[in-house]
Amino acid sequence: MSYVGERVARIDAAEKVTGGAVFGSDITLPGMLHGAVLRSPYPHARLVGVDTSRAEQAPGVRGVSAGRDFPFTFGASIKDQPFLAIDRVRFVGEPVAAVAADSELQAQEALDLITVHYEELPAVLDPWQALAQDAPLLHPDLHTYERGRHEIVPHSNINTVARYVHGDMEEGFRSADLLFEDEFFAHALSHAAMETHTATAQYRPADHGYTLWVSTDRPFQMRSELATALGLSSDQVRLIVGYVGGSFGGKNTLVAEAAAVALARKVPGRPVRVELSREEDLVASQIRMPAFIKLKTGVRRDGTLTARRAEFLWDGGAYASNAVGIAIRGPKAAFGPYRIPNVEYYSRMVYTNKEPTGSYRGYGTTQAAWACESQMDIIAHRLAIDPLHLRLRNGLQEGDPWINGQIMHGINARETIELVASEIEWGTIDRAPAPHLRRGKGIATMIKETATPTSSNVVIKVEQDGKVVVLCAAPEIGAGQATVLSQMAADAIGVPLAAVSLPATDTATAPYNGPVASSRTTYHVGNAIQLAGLEIRRRALALAGRVLGIDADLLDMNDGVITERGVGPRANLRDLLGTFGSEGYSLVAEARYSSADSPLLKADPGCEWVSTIFWMIASQAVEVEVDVETGTVRVLKVAAAADVGRAINPTACEQQIEGGVVMGVSNTLFEELTMEDGRIQNGSFTDYKLATIQDLPEIVPIIVESDHPEAPFGAKGIGEPAAAATAPAIANALFDAIGIRIKDLPITSVKVLDAIEAKRVDEAHGDDLALD
Amino acid sequence: MIRVALTVNKVRHEAEVEPNLTLLEFLREALYLTGAKESCGVGECGTCLVLVDGHPVNSCLMLVADANGREVETIEGLANEGEPNTVQAAFIETGAIQCGYCTPAMVLAAEALLRANPNPDPSQVREALAGVLCRCGSYPKVLDAVRTAAAKGVHQ
Amino acid sequence: MKRLRPFALYQPTSVREAVELLVAEGGEARVLAGGTDLLVDMKLGRVRPPAVINLKRIKGLDRIDRVEGGIRIGSLVPISAIESSALVQRKHNALWQASRVLATQPVRNLATIGGNLGRASPASDMAPPLIIHGSLIEIEGVKGSRLVPAEAFHRGPGASCLTPDEIITSVLLPEPTGRTGSAYRKLGKRGGGWDIALVGVGVGIRLDKTGEIADARIVLASVGPTPLRALTAEAGLRGAVPTEESLAEAAQTAAAETRPITDLRATASYRRSLARVLTLRTLRDALYLAQREAPF
Repeated sequence: MSYVGERVARIDAAEKVTGGAVFGSDITLPGMLHGAVLRSPYPHARLVGVDTSRAEQAPGVRGVSAGRDFPFTFGASIKDQPFLAIDRVRFVGEPVAAVAADSELQAQEALDLITVHYEELPAVLDPWQALAQDAPLLHPDLHTYERGRHEIVPHSNINTVARYVHGDMEEGFRSADLLFEDEFFAHALSHAAMETHTATAQYRPADHGYTLWVSTDRPFQMRSELATALGLSSDQVRLIVGYVGGSFGGKNTLVAEAAAVALARKVPGRPVRVELSREEDLVASQIRMPAFIKLKTGVRRDGTLTARRAEFLWDGGAYASNAVGIAIRGPKAAFGPYRIPNVEYYSRMVYTNKEPTGSYRGYGTTQAAWACESQMDIIAHRLAIDPLHLRLRNGLQEGDPWINGQIMHGINARETIELVASEIEWGTIDRAPAPHLRRGKGIATMIKETATPTSSNVVIKVEQDGKVVVLCAAPEIGAGQATVLSQMAADAIGVPLAAVSLPATDTATAPYNGPVASSRTTYHVGNAIQLAGLEIRRRALALAGRVLGIDADLLDMNDGVITERGVGPRANLRDLLGTFGSEGYSLVAEARYSSADSPLLKADPGCEWVSTIFWMIASQAVEVEVDVETGTVRVLKVAAAADVGRAINPTACEQQIEGGVVMGVSNTLFEELTMEDGRIQNGSFTDYKLATIQDLPEIVPIIVESDHPEAPFGAKGIGEPAAAATAPAIANALFDAIGIRIKDLPITSVKVLDAIEAKRVDEAHGDDLALD
Repeated sequence: MIRVALTVNKVRHEAEVEPNLTLLEFLREALYLTGAKESCGVGECGTCLVLVDGHPVNSCLMLVADANGREVETIEGLANEGEPNTVQAAFIETGAIQCGYCTPAMVLAAEALLRANPNPDPSQVREALAGVLCRCGSYPKVLDAVRTAAAKGVHQ
Repeated sequence: MKRLRPFALYQPTSVREAVELLVAEGGEARVLAGGTDLLVDMKLGRVRPPAVINLKRIKGLDRIDRVEGGIRIGSLVPISAIESSALVQRKHNALWQASRVLATQPVRNLATIGGNLGRASPASDMAPPLIIHGSLIEIEGVKGSRLVPAEAFHRGPGASCLTPDEIITSVLLPEPTGRTGSAYRKLGKRGGGWDIALVGVGVGIRLDKTGEIADARIVLASVGPTPLRALTAEAGLRGAVPTEESLAEAAQTAAAETRPITDLRATASYRRSLARVLTLRTLRDALYLAQREAPF
């Protein structure tokens, strides 16, 4: 039996459907205390004093911590974020102090007893303000912070600058027949995973180390971030990660962990659990980074793109978090999966006195695709070219060079675009059922790279009874990692799927893995599993050969049964390993896969840093219905195609595609963090609205397969591309329906109705715009 | 303190509780039935959904005092000796589970629907499940799962 | 998790007892019906009552009964019971429709009509239908019981005519006479019916023998400090022949009567536009139902 390519049931399904799956807030440990966090009510203020004396005496309170007790800072790229505010607060909601008590209620009540003296400072509330010459500086000592090697502008609020140019921009624009300059805005979003940020930490006085039970998508990166911040070694920080109730990029850095660790230090030996409320999760964890995007594109009259310059201003929030990479890499997606001979981008990220930002399903590509695909339609309409044909004309094909000269393999931009266009019956107009309704269709595509280089280590051990344990630090965050990796392990080794298990990640025993992010897990961990699995198989067959007295080259193993070619079944793995009896035995193999030295990464000199080990292209075609009297946009149908390389589990791929569309519809139409004076006004689910099952359009998921020379079983990734093209596809469909172009997200009914009414006024004045 | 007596998954429980204890807290912290979750605490997300006398309610908005004398069903009570019931099996089969955080609530909402209406049309299914949010976006396969479960005819 | 602060819980078994407790607590106690508003407010720290008076042990307040002249709905009747009541659906379509779009089912199984009214939110889905149906709200306090017309119940956002010692015991819906039709529509952020109303509209129409409009009631939610009766629009419809033009004009007038604010959910101008559109659509709904009634 071969499992790769089969719609096997998810291995975590039974546990989840019976309520037995344990998430962060379900864990109870002996002596466990509960934490609560006191947060800044000001967007920017000096922290003059924190008096915790009354809180320390409150009923049930076992420990209170403030910045002065735990003056450490952390940060994925720039070490700028305190565990608890030290001398300054920089966003509403920033942790200032924390309490550990016997009950969560006691901890929450004790917060009322902490007195904090703030001195308000002028706040920087938008990125333009942040750039101004005389802007207040959030981090005046930025240039002294420990940080990566990226470009910053000292003595400013600019914490990241990235530039890239390939080709001759002047010539590119000169050779164009028309130039398009457009500005777009992509808004902040909450990941809003159903499980809020939750962490339990325990300080071990014996070795001054910590054990944490956390909900993260990157155990090793988080361990490293913590260890670096606290000056500890890897054996002093142990992370245990069970099920994660959704991440979508948001569970990457220290959120609940920061307070949990600070509190744990105060109550040695006792675990402290910090569980963010939904309100805290919305306003004080991490959000998608808003971006102001300017695209200048040159195009010939026949639709051929000649040049594009993209300028990004990223609204980074109070701390850089893991958003630096977004500012550096995200803009690549602004060029879409298109052949553009001359490209340039200039990207800046600034500090603002708002919630920290970070990775959000796509790592900047949803923002970039919003701009790219909206402008493609603007270009198409202006040139009177069908938006579908404009994309097909410029679409990248196998063997084309990318924006850095890297030769692209395993991609076919036209395929996903054509498939969704066909599914949505592109070119036919659907008559809306009532006079106040209009229908329209829109199409959008996107290209997503994967972080390169990254690596994954895997250790596989086979127990004496034939059970296979795969040690790989790849938490199951909901996307089906555990199942897909198990399928690949089963096939690589030749054992039944039911024999394979992936225990919860424990950084003490698992080998290194990069994050479960960047859609990298199936490919990178899969490659390592394939290598280690094949080694297990080789050794098992060698052992069988010795035991049976047969040349191992004549043996095969499948579903744990060892067969001799031309003869038949000769043994099974369990019995084979059982022959070791009380001497004991484990069959162990390990492998490492890294994309670092792949010849596929070869690019033009100086541009290798842009290379990626694989691309994923995904397209969506959308049909919308607009109520022109209320501005309400309803998505009727979405055809979504994604090039996954090879679908290890087609059901799991569909889950991602469908899930990405639902998230995309929700992000585009319903979600918005409304801010006033640096304070989020709608910080609860009463007013931050997610799509419900009632909002579900008809979704047709289309899995496209391609050939990537180095992919395990041919598989690439799917998690992020699923979500990116929805927003521009909806905007394009809206334009098709009623001739309104919305360039800043979200597309709310208020905005749509305002635009319709403005258009009506314009028409009354005789402007040449037809609402047909 | 007040005295409450309620049945949870067919087991009777008597307890002395503080008035401010919600049914959700009682289930999770007194009975260690952690299938019901809190994701919002204000009645918007539905992850705390349990059945009280067969009706789906947000247990985070119900005082345990108000569950006195009532029959509560949680996800842990659906399976029969570890064997998933029809709805649970359908969720597994159709791939309606991703991160799993909303799954207990979704399953219970579907179960309650089919008991009251064994052959719901799609709009009835959507309305019955609208009270449970799923950020992973499993809605399409959840609809498939309910259809599959209904087709088995077990709830007639 | 958000935790409730401690409070004393009283569980009276009669209205009298509940009223006496309210007086004894000196106005500091809150009454608990379904909990879908009170417990949320308590968790978010908006209110911190030292005592909570749980009304749900009082017998007899959770029934829907036919009474002389109409229907009595006990104040503790959950919204879901109104939704499944054939009695209500029969002649009080607006209330029935409103019960179907109030939040989602698990909330409707807890929330009560008394609780919804008592909160006195201008966005209440129950209030416009109750007003257009000409309902009376039965209230009991230390001085005994009284009846208040639904349209006199609301005083301002969160404020009603209830004195600190009073609770709602029931709502009386008169049986409509003649050819009547009523409807309720709302629009929320998610475009469907289950979010807090950006605008809600309840309409009732009664036709005379000739098919002209004998009486019309138009009440809007979320466009003023209380549910707003569009009196001028109503007056314009009385005696009018129901045509698309006369309905459109009434909708326009109703929109002009609104006093919406801009808040985090919508702008004032959007609410005004929505008021016009929804009023017209709801008028059409109510008219259709009235015209379907057998002429007499």
